Amino acid sequence: MSVILELTDVSKAYDQFKVVDSFNFKVNQGELRCLLGPNGAGKTTTIDLITGRQKATSGKIMFNGREITGLREDRIAKRGVGRKFQVPAVFKELTVRDNLRVAFSNNTDPFANMLRFSRKEGRERLDQVVELAGLQDRLDELGGNLSHGETQWLEIGMVLTQSPKLLLMDEPTAGMTEQETQKTSEIFNRLKGQHTLIVVEHDMAFVREIADVITLMHMGKTLAEGPMEVVENDPKVKEVYLGSEGITDAA
Amino acid sequence: MQRANLYHDKRAQWAAYLVFFAALAVIPLIMDDPYTMNQYARYGVFGILALSVSLLWGYGGILSLGQGIAFGMAAYGMGATMQMQYQDPVNDPMPSFMLTNELEALPVVWEPFWHTHWGVLLAIGIPVLFFIIFGVLMFQARLAGAFVAIMTLAMLGAWYSMAYDMQPYTAGFNGISPPNAFVAFGVEVDPYSNLIYWVSLGVLGFLTLSIKALLQTKFGTVIQAIRDDPERARFLGYNVAYYQTVLFALAGLVAAFAGVVWVMISQYVSPTELDIFFSISIVIWAAVGGRMSLFGAIFGAMFIKAAETNLGDDFQATWFVILGVVFIVVVRFLPKGIAGLFEIAIGFIPYRLKSSSRSDVNSTSAGD
Amino acid sequence: MSVHDFWTPFALEPFISALIIGLSIASIWLVAALGLTIIYGTMGVINMAHGEFIMLGAYSAWVLQHFVGIPWLLCLPLSFIIVAFIGWLIERGLIRHLYDRPLDTLLATWGVSLVFIQSIRLIFGGSPQYIDAPSWLKTVMVIDFVHIPWMRIFIFFLALGLVAMTFAILYKTNMGVQVRAVMQNKEMAASFGINSKRVYGLTFAYGAGLAGISGAMFTGLQTIFPDMGMHYVVEAFLVVVTGGGEIIGSVATAGIMGQMFSVFSYFTNDTFGRFVLFVLIVIFLRFRPQGIFSPSMARR
Repeated sequence: MSVILELTDVSKAYDQFKVVDSFNFKVNQGELRCLLGPNGAGKTTTIDLITGRQKATSGKIMFNGREITGLREDRIAKRGVGRKFQVPAVFKELTVRDNLRVAFSNNTDPFANMLRFSRKEGRERLDQVVELAGLQDRLDELGGNLSHGETQWLEIGMVLTQSPKLLLMDEPTAGMTEQETQKTSEIFNRLKGQHTLIVVEHDMAFVREIADVITLMHMGKTLAEGPMEVVENDPKVKEVYLGSEGITDAA
Repeated sequence: MQRANLYHDKRAQWAAYLVFFAALAVIPLIMDDPYTMNQYARYGVFGILALSVSLLWGYGGILSLGQGIAFGMAAYGMGATMQMQYQDPVNDPMPSFMLTNELEALPVVWEPFWHTHWGVLLAIGIPVLFFIIFGVLMFQARLAGAFVAIMTLAMLGAWYSMAYDMQPYTAGFNGISPPNAFVAFGVEVDPYSNLIYWVSLGVLGFLTLSIKALLQTKFGTVIQAIRDDPERARFLGYNVAYYQTVLFALAGLVAAFAGVVWVMISQYVSPTELDIFFSISIVIWAAVGGRMSLFGAIFGAMFIKAAETNLGDDFQATWFVILGVVFIVVVRFLPKGIAGLFEIAIGFIPYRLKSSSRSDVNSTSAGD
Repeated sequence: MSVHDFWTPFALEPFISALIIGLSIASIWLVAALGLTIIYGTMGVINMAHGEFIMLGAYSAWVLQHFVGIPWLLCLPLSFIIVAFIGWLIERGLIRHLYDRPLDTLLATWGVSLVFIQSIRLIFGGSPQYIDAPSWLKTVMVIDFVHIPWMRIFIFFLALGLVAMTFAILYKTNMGVQVRAVMQNKEMAASFGINSKRVYGLTFAYGAGLAGISGAMFTGLQTIFPDMGMHYVVEAFLVVVTGGGEIIGSVATAGIMGQMFSVFSYFTNDTFGRFVLFVLIVIFLRFRPQGIFSPSMARR
């Protein structure tokens, strides 16, 4: 098992305040890692740093053996890193179909794309994704007119179309029903192995279903790390969560 | 839920465009008045300018108040070309305004314009080059929205000053008036003839259909995606600044074509071509006609300018008050302009999508 | 034309005169931009009709003097009030509905600008009008080789006075505190009971009033005509945007811009000076879009 993502002593500071504090993080290829922690622990910032949305103040980020610290977002994305946002981000004035077409980003050169008229390229993958996301009947609907759940699915679909080696999902089940959450965990379980997933989540039941390993962040650092049972019973974790039921109902 | 709308059917759209241009092409055969043809040819130029704004703003989400820069630069290039067509290398090598300004020899920058093909190439090439540089400057820094608008406006102001000031080179506020009509491949393009009309219409038609085709490529889809959410596009692996610069340069290219044709028609170029009010007016035409629709923008330009010209001098001020109010209303309530109203109207026509298969060639996104 | 004719060689006395004129130009651009600074800094609104507020101020002064017989000096504060009221109406009727759409605000206010210019043209015609300034302001102050019209000196000090008054209002009055609170954080200010709608309305009116009084002041320097505002709007914008929307920023920018323009114009001429200035500003904005003093907006 090789390490696909490695963060070494990564920090992100705003003036004096460190949102991410000498954070060390290693994820193996094919793993499904859950990144947990209370609000403000540094989870989303970590995702931002990995995807290039923010620049680390110090430290090194390695992806697939190459350094990606401080690279531009699209460069990192092209190396095989995909991201799903907390608040679903789709292209509102494009149809569902076109949203997925854009997500099929095998060739991102503008001039090459000027010559591409064919609706047929990538059709197989698109058909699969549409099936998976359950959007067969909504293909001609504008992205902005979808319901919240549908938008989530579209974005998941888009990330799947992009087919990155590493998927970073920021609260993918936010606003989903029981059924939808169940479906999401099925998809994630299917994806891991071929792909590596890092999922930021709050829904503990969902986390239990999918996680191989959990990293619990607190104040920009790792508080505990390991499989669910280990982290649950870690005394440090119990201390931080002040005699509650451990992290089982941490918000 | 969006009902399928004939307005968005690609085949219907292409048919509409072709009918439109065919109808326009026939007009000279009916009118047969050289003066009117010159007038109509001018409307064609306004259409081209509106096309440039619709592409950049409606589809790219980039509002540029400075399309006049490309238009003006190209106009000057064409003016120089046409002027040098008139000059004689042996007996009369320098335009009269240069002699009036006591220049001793033809400036180096004017030399290439001795050759018509170089002249036209530069007239179009230099504005495009400028737009590329300017675009890189702005989009690399991730400037957007109102900032870009103000920057383009300031740049336009700078160039206006330049044209006004560099009298020995540009004839200043007097402008350059090439005495003869443009001659291309041995053919004289008489500004008062059916030919000039067809040239103008031809350029408009060619550019419009090319851009329409371009918008149906993946490039077109990506550029609209970038308009909707540049960050999302970045995370999918697209170099947003690159796409925006390419689009910006394309819009500049279109406006440059307009400038070249304009001087063929008017046989005159002055700093007015770089006027701020004019450049912003293009945006007004596109907004009122409908910036999300190439057809709408072109139609808006032609309609507004035709109304302006035909209403007579007494009504000018009143007309502009009305236009101003209409523009405010459009901005406030009708982001899709008149084309948007048209879209709603067409929506009432019963129409079903060809098929529901995923690979439907006719499937589209909003706008044309 | 040789380089010789284009480029004026350096000579101390004319150069110093240029510097002093630079101060006058700076004060004109500052007072023209002051209202816009308030509006942009507080509300983030790009008011393309700002030049027309200036123009309306000038016409107000002219109408008051020409038809009502009010002395020039009194026309100034009256113009402030008239244009402030017009601004308040515009904010209520239009701007209020476009706060979340900055690009549309820019365009809609351009429409307003168009309506104003053409309406004035309809009512008063397009020919330039002359206003009658008090005779004591029409003379020129002479110190050694320096010749400065008293009107420019008057405008300079009035501009500073208006800046001081604005600071006083912002930092010493209750309303000023509210404006600054809304400027920093609208939602939080609302939770303290500050009615942001009212604050915006009054702020916009105040900004418009400032434009109005500057227009009235400018009648002492130029004739008035319907599109005179256009001559100020681009410069005013550049001052505001380069200054970052803060008053201090606008003061600094206007000062620097005014001097640079004067100096460039001295060495070359007016239009070329303008050209160089604009290009420098475009380059500056590219690297510091947040303005002179604000903290960096670069990718975090």
